[in-house]
Amino acid sequence: MSYDAIVIGAGANGLVTAHYLARAGKRVLVVERRHGADPSADIGWVPPRVVRDLGLRDLRLEQPDPWITIPLGGGGGGTLELSRDMARSVDAIRRVSPADAEQWPEFCRRMRSIAGVLERLYLAPPPDIETRNARELARMAGLGLYVRRLGKQTVIDLARILPMSIAELLDDWFASDALKGALGALGIWHLKQGPRSGGTAFNFLHHHVGCPAGVFRPLRSNVTQTLARMTGVEIRRGERAAVVAKHGRATGVVLEKSGDTILAPLVVSSADPRATLHPIAIELDPEFARAVDNIKARGVVARGTLTLDQAPSYSSLCIAPSLEYLERAYDDAKYGRDSAAPYVEVQRTDSRLEVHVQYVPYTDGTANVQRHQTLQQKVAQQLGVQASQVKLQSPDEEELQRGATEGHLYHGELTLDQILFMRPVPGWSRYRTPIEGLYLCGAGTHPGGGIPGAAGRNAARAIL
Amino acid sequence: MSLRTTPFHSRTGPLSEGQAWRRWAGYVVASSYELSHDREYHAIRNAAALFDVSPLYKYLITGRDASRLLDHVVTRNVGKAKVGQVLYTPWCDNDGKQIDDGTISVLGEQRFRMTSADPTLRWLHLNSRGLEVAIEDVSDRTAALSLQGPSSREILQLAAERDLSGLKYFRLTDAKIRGIPVTISRTGYTGDLGYEVWVDATQAVPVWDALIEIGTAYGITPAGMLALDVARIEAGLLLIEVDYFSSRHALIEAQKSSPLELGLGWTVATDKERYNGQAALEAERMGGGPSWQFTGLTVDWDSLERLYAEVGLPPRLPTQAWRASVPIYDRGGNRQVGYATSGGWSPLLKRYMALAHLGSDSAAPGTEVRMEVTVEHHRKQATAHVTPLPFFNPDRKRA
Amino acid sequence: MTATTRYEAIVIGGGHNGLVTAAYLARAGKSVLVLERRPRVGGAAVTEEIFPGFKFSMFSYVVSLLRPEIIRDLDLPRHGLHILPLESTVTPMENGDYLAGWADHDETRRELYRHSPRDAEAYDEYGRLMHFMAQAVKPILGMVPPDPTSFAPGDLAALFKLGKHFRGLGGERLHALVKLMTMSSADFLDEWFETDVLKATKSASGIIGTFLGPRSPGTAYVLLHHYMGELDGVFRAWGFAKGGTGAVSEAIASAARGFGAAIRCDASVARVIVRGGRATGVALENGDELEAGTVVSSLDPRRTFLQLLESNDLPADFVSDIRRFKFRGSSGKVNLALDALPSFTCMPGIGRQHRGAFSISPSLDYVERAYDDAKYGEFSRRPYMDIVFPSMIDPGMAPPGKHVMSIFVQYAPYNLNGGWTDAKREAFGDAVVNTVESFAPGFKSLILHRQVITPLDIERITGLSEGNIFAGELALHQLFFLRPAPGWAKFSTPVRNFYQCGSGTHPGGGIMGASGRLAAMRILKDGR
Repeated sequence: MSYDAIVIGAGANGLVTAHYLARAGKRVLVVERRHGADPSADIGWVPPRVVRDLGLRDLRLEQPDPWITIPLGGGGGGTLELSRDMARSVDAIRRVSPADAEQWPEFCRRMRSIAGVLERLYLAPPPDIETRNARELARMAGLGLYVRRLGKQTVIDLARILPMSIAELLDDWFASDALKGALGALGIWHLKQGPRSGGTAFNFLHHHVGCPAGVFRPLRSNVTQTLARMTGVEIRRGERAAVVAKHGRATGVVLEKSGDTILAPLVVSSADPRATLHPIAIELDPEFARAVDNIKARGVVARGTLTLDQAPSYSSLCIAPSLEYLERAYDDAKYGRDSAAPYVEVQRTDSRLEVHVQYVPYTDGTANVQRHQTLQQKVAQQLGVQASQVKLQSPDEEELQRGATEGHLYHGELTLDQILFMRPVPGWSRYRTPIEGLYLCGAGTHPGGGIPGAAGRNAARAIL
Repeated sequence: MSLRTTPFHSRTGPLSEGQAWRRWAGYVVASSYELSHDREYHAIRNAAALFDVSPLYKYLITGRDASRLLDHVVTRNVGKAKVGQVLYTPWCDNDGKQIDDGTISVLGEQRFRMTSADPTLRWLHLNSRGLEVAIEDVSDRTAALSLQGPSSREILQLAAERDLSGLKYFRLTDAKIRGIPVTISRTGYTGDLGYEVWVDATQAVPVWDALIEIGTAYGITPAGMLALDVARIEAGLLLIEVDYFSSRHALIEAQKSSPLELGLGWTVATDKERYNGQAALEAERMGGGPSWQFTGLTVDWDSLERLYAEVGLPPRLPTQAWRASVPIYDRGGNRQVGYATSGGWSPLLKRYMALAHLGSDSAAPGTEVRMEVTVEHHRKQATAHVTPLPFFNPDRKRA
Repeated sequence: MTATTRYEAIVIGGGHNGLVTAAYLARAGKSVLVLERRPRVGGAAVTEEIFPGFKFSMFSYVVSLLRPEIIRDLDLPRHGLHILPLESTVTPMENGDYLAGWADHDETRRELYRHSPRDAEAYDEYGRLMHFMAQAVKPILGMVPPDPTSFAPGDLAALFKLGKHFRGLGGERLHALVKLMTMSSADFLDEWFETDVLKATKSASGIIGTFLGPRSPGTAYVLLHHYMGELDGVFRAWGFAKGGTGAVSEAIASAARGFGAAIRCDASVARVIVRGGRATGVALENGDELEAGTVVSSLDPRRTFLQLLESNDLPADFVSDIRRFKFRGSSGKVNLALDALPSFTCMPGIGRQHRGAFSISPSLDYVERAYDDAKYGEFSRRPYMDIVFPSMIDPGMAPPGKHVMSIFVQYAPYNLNGGWTDAKREAFGDAVVNTVESFAPGFKSLILHRQVITPLDIERITGLSEGNIFAGELALHQLFFLRPAPGWAKFSTPVRNFYQCGSGTHPGGGIMGASGRLAAMRILKDGR
């Protein structure tokens, strides 16, 4: 059996690349280390081009409304609910802070405008700032012109806001701790950084991409499952594959279990760059290998599920009462400890309740039973449920099971030094690698995690 | 804290007549022991000179993938080398530009000693990803002596109490001197018959004493860096930071050189797996070869004498080797075609020699060029001819 | 009252930038008057004899960032500027060991090797990279920031030139620059080194003057900012001015006077007089009014725009931008008169180590924890400190046999919980002294006099808002064309004939003088 291309990993990006390649007439094999398909929802915007190109008719995009429920502390209790409808959100915010309610629509408009710029950047390979190629220069000039046409304010916002911390940004606009906590939480998603760290405003906007104005939680979808059900590519599950390279050329993959080698002139990996490239380090320029080693991918999120007897009243619950709460949660992580009081968020998709807990820093790649129990108890307590109802997976466990280095879901933190032409490694942002015939197409490449399929499509286009 | 002294300092210190020391890799070593380096130089070519070369950086590389690591790093084929062999080799960055040069001693199937002019530990580590190999910096632990000259074999045979006639050029052997285990390699930096003796730093002094005691009858002479510098130019041997810049130190691209440009094409293997710089070096070869050549120059005596005569002086000769960048012009004296980086008077060959980088079109042996010389504060040009390296290559070196 | 003399230019504030602007304007033949509120020039670069016989560089205490072209143009050595080298740094560690960096390369290498052979090698490469980067950024220091939102040919040309310059750096250095602009100093250093104390000491220069910890993104840039120091053409050389940093100010003042500028001390400006959208002069606190064709403020942006001007003189969005400009002073200073030099446990005795700096930054976590305190409104219980003994370099700073000790301390937040009081100031001073004592037992008994300076004191004395030593944080979103506000980073202001020249403008920070020089160039180019 021979293939034109082998794709490592049957996640959204791997499958998107595989299907684009298959549509271009290639015989494609996808090798996935996990046996079953992942039941958890895909988080983030699925670029409409991908949906159209691949005809994803079964794709279900979900965005609960209200999109977030924020428990309010203090004696009265109660909640703050933010909805897609601007007027409803304004009314809800007015109850906690009339001044913030005033600011809300303008804030949403400004953020939406920057997210629009990011969307445009994300649907193509990152601008190549070193290029001498006339077409690429023209593309960059076009991008520059597009941004400038959005007006002076957007240009200034881009320069000012992206490097800011989410705390500074929100403090500029709002007074309510509850509101700032819930918004600020998005700024720290999958970052080993706190809300006062520079660049978290960018991370906030990254996760706003694809959302309507006034919604600051990404869409959820079943894109991976939809892709997995489609015909056109062969998927082999339960097999770990490593790239085989010789004389600077990829020649195929070797399957770990059987030791069998499958040959193909093209290998595309949606696994994380470090895991992909480390075994073939001997084929690489040591400086390149060093850059790969230097990718920051410090897992800090425990993910899992919540089992309740009956459906909860909320569709999305955020426990992040203030920016200071988040900052203190981060302080623990800085010194390698799980947050004493973590940020917890529950998202409902159909009947499934998924939990996001931050910060649970990656330690040493081993599962620690006691730590695990403490964590589940802590989270259960915060949610007011029994510990047995919470099932969590720490970054260490994530690494053991999925192979993502340090259990980082995005294969590299979305910090300003690891985006665009710096992702995954400075100077190698065009999905190619120094190994001929080996490409990357996962979340570790531009535009990164939280936008399932975008990297996959860009990579496929770069290959074709 | 101050500068460090080598394990031989208790012996070399008192020998220094003029307290002429220089720095080498954070150590002090003798420039010359006597007030003039003349006798020390002549010992190299006439009897035997003993150099303390302990400041060299030395690394012990062991383990299953030791030779794979070295093959990944250097341009020569280490995998093909046999136990007991010593390889001189450069190593490059990914662009095929030379980082450093040194030797690799094959001490065992999975045991190598690498020497370098610059610290190399980090570079070896960076290259060792995924390999089963241990890298140990043994620079401080290992003392090294270099015994060079026509009498070196006789002295060492007596000291080691064994026949060394079978030890071929760039081969090594284990031995004992006064019961102290040493490694003897037939290597050196003089282009002459010579050996290097490697010994644990704690047992260094008795080895020195043994060589001096036995060697005195054969004219053994402790020698310093000034004498060595003349000899290495005669032998056409490169010196880092003088004749070329490490690509890792270069500030601009133009300061970097490939081994092909440095006359080390013979060290660039064509029969091995991927190593750093391979693609670039192959491309350089395919693309018509290097655009620069590293070669010798002989400055014409008559021309030099004439320039000095014009101002009423006899020619002044550089009896100490110089290290500077000196422009080289074409025959007409108008177009600069390269630059010399080292030079000096060879007392043995009786000629003014220089090592130079020349554009490939001006580098053919015999080509006439002009070298800038300063005569009584005025810049002049002396005629010189391209001379193949080495200037001096005695049969005894390999015999 | 009416003014008796009309000046072509009045410079408000006699700090080093104000003096540099005045000197350049005077050099171009303008009649210039500098108005300084305090009895002496210098602003935050002053030397004062706080205790009889003991002289202190009260605030700013080391020099290296002073632009060489200013030294040349104003011929400052002729006016008494003499910079003495300050070349070693010793970091005492909690376990009694130390990390030292010496002037000699071999010695430093040997010392680093003791901690990590690999780091000893990485250090050289790191140094070379930072040297390149400092060179790469150098042209920006001497450039008026173009406005990227503008379509004016001048801005487009400057942007194009800037783009060309950066592309000219080549991939590797361009990427390093992006990293330096965006990363935390801890992360950046992690890419190079494994020795914690080395990273801690290096990262400390990335937090100076900021309200950030070594793990906060944006601090790598400050790391580079401090690498831009250049003495005698050598990057990253720190020096100490003979006579203290006040001598730098005095030298610039002397140069300015030499070019014909007048300098008036004890002359506090109450406001800038604006008529019909133009600045026409200044009004002093004492009621005097002085007329000038051009008014230049070297005060920080907040005081320049919110204090010297009426808010209706300025566009509303500009005012809100200036209000948003962050200061957040975080540094304090403790100046001590000593009976004798202290001996540090890690390197006992008195020796050449006292001619360099002691950095109290034993580990990254130590510095980060110091920041944690400040983040929640407390001064650091165990702060990061940079200690020098100026009297060891310039014996004239103290009576024979006695010494002065300068301790730069971080963090001391301006907005302390409950606010700064005399008791809090002394408690802060105690924390500093006790921390030093833990590394140098017996040190406390050597103290003859102590002066503790909090950010609030810095604000009160020098006028720097919130006591920020850079006249505004050196954060990425407050640099270049955003310093101090988008659209107004070219030294001009919304009020015609009114300019800004302080550290709150590009490039800002340190005794650099670049802002003052660029502002003067701009004023002269505008034909003022």
